[in-house]
Amino acid sequence: MDNSVYQVYEDEIQLLEEEIKLLSDKYEDIQQESTFFSDEEVLIKLFQREFLAEHKGHGPPLDLKAELESLQRDLSFLVKFTGIQITSHSKKTLEKTGNRTVQKHRLSGNCQSLPFSLEFQLLEVQNKENVSAAITDLSIAIESGQHSELSKFVSRAEENGNLLMFFRNLSSYAEWCEHRRCTFLHFKAKYPNIVTLPEGQEGDHIILRNPQLPGFELMIVWKMHIDEEGTTTPVLDLLPKVPQQEPSHANRWKWSKLLSCTSTMFYLKALAKMQVCLLLGSSLGAEESIY
Amino acid sequence: MEEEHNSNEKENALCGRSLTAASRDGGGRMPAAPLAQGKVERGKVYSGDGVLGYLEMLEAQAHELGLKQEEKEQQEKKLDRLKARVQELRARRDELRAKVELQEKRLLDKEGVMADPAQPSAQTVLEWKVKSLKAMLQVFYLTGISGKLTKQGVCFCISTAYEGTYLDSYYVDLLIKPLVKIQRHSVPVFIPLEQIAKKYLQTDIRRFLSVLSDHLNAYVGRRHQADQLEEHFSDHIDGTLQRNSLCNLLVFNYTVSSNSKTFPFNVRLLYGDLCCSLPTEAIISCTPGTLPLLAEMAAAHSNAFRHMALHKAFDSLINAKESQN
Repeated sequence: MDNSVYQVYEDEIQLLEEEIKLLSDKYEDIQQESTFFSDEEVLIKLFQREFLAEHKGHGPPLDLKAELESLQRDLSFLVKFTGIQITSHSKKTLEKTGNRTVQKHRLSGNCQSLPFSLEFQLLEVQNKENVSAAITDLSIAIESGQHSELSKFVSRAEENGNLLMFFRNLSSYAEWCEHRRCTFLHFKAKYPNIVTLPEGQEGDHIILRNPQLPGFELMIVWKMHIDEEGTTTPVLDLLPKVPQQEPSHANRWKWSKLLSCTSTMFYLKALAKMQVCLLLGSSLGAEESIY
Repeated sequence: MEEEHNSNEKENALCGRSLTAASRDGGGRMPAAPLAQGKVERGKVYSGDGVLGYLEMLEAQAHELGLKQEEKEQQEKKLDRLKARVQELRARRDELRAKVELQEKRLLDKEGVMADPAQPSAQTVLEWKVKSLKAMLQVFYLTGISGKLTKQGVCFCISTAYEGTYLDSYYVDLLIKPLVKIQRHSVPVFIPLEQIAKKYLQTDIRRFLSVLSDHLNAYVGRRHQADQLEEHFSDHIDGTLQRNSLCNLLVFNYTVSSNSKTFPFNVRLLYGDLCCSLPTEAIISCTPGTLPLLAEMAAAHSNAFRHMALHKAFDSLINAKESQN
């Protein structure tokens, strides 16, 4: 009897073993991806008496609990630190052959207070030393609304498929918006009679009106420009409004003094966060001091 | 040991035969005893004595037959094992196929949540949750900044990518008490980590990581472009691509043709902004005297290098050349 007879069987055995591995991976993947247990269910199970009774204080199951808690701690730290909170995440394995895996991911969440929603395919290839990953078919949806400036940046990111840069730059943009919101709120709280936020705290401008100078308004616009590359540049602008009727000479003088103080400071176009606050603070302080 | 056993068997067989032969012979007495007593020793040649020679031959034949028999038995056993294994695996495979088909059918029918009709065990739920959390953490890896809490602080992982391809990741292990300090890191030497840390680490860890991430991503992006150029266009480059470890200075040579004459171009790419993966300067030099002719081409090439990714820019220049010719 020669070896070729064995070979036929051995080949089939190998094929079957590979197929079994693929099938069981597929089964587990589908099981994982199509099941969902809410956080409450998880908590319940965590403290379920049966569970504690099943495994009395030793062995793998407690490690499972410890692992779960450690992962939860890491995740909540990252959410707090980066400001990126993922509210829903689903993935589906589209292809799994040999050393190649393709998964489709659907993700939505918030970056600071900016909601986003995206979809992409992740291709992972197992090399000798490591796993290489690449993103394809990236599709991003951001609620434009007040952030229409994001659309160019978003379409560039979709073109490149650079998910990482999208998140880095979105983070940076969202942080600037958050900083603007805090700054506006701070001044609104400190000078409630003078400051108004016509578009609320998410808006991009603030209006200064002194009740003693009716008709005169100072609008400070703080826009966040985000270019195609994703770099955020805060841009400040000062828009004065003067009443159409002839104002009194005294008022006019007061107004021009205020205007010149404020404009000098503003047209320095400070980019550093601290400087913006100082500027706003000084301008508001100046306004108060004049009267 | 088996051989010994066999030789004993053979001996008995031989004795058996010889005795029978003797009894058949009738008159002529052949003493069975000497044969029964005589032990056939292998390797010793009993020459001259025909009977012994004949017996030796018989013994050898029997021995071989025995071996063949055994071999056959073993082969059959092996074949049976293999067949059994194949059956076993086929059955398992079919079982799994059926399971997966049922799963997929259920998904299509959308028969509610995929939980078992019975209450799922705590083990199942927790294992599911662990996998789900790990998947979420993988997503954070994809966003560029992820990490793990440690006993004394945090170990951050900065991932890098160029366009859609993820490249190296770097670690920064931070201690947070009493002051924020870098305990360990895997950031390459030529990245100005200390400067960045000095400026931001104490006051704004997020900013520190953000700036570090910019540097690392830009470095990795420049390196990737240079690698791509070497990998795909080595036959269009004269000599080798020269670069420094930070990949912010690249020099290489290639040839251009104009009016069916070829001219060498030397490109010097300077990346002045360490957080940028496009060069701030692209200096093209040619052999002295040829500049007036090629000024326009040189300017166009320099422009391409400054605005497009290196390998893409080069690709477009090559194709433009070829379409010209």
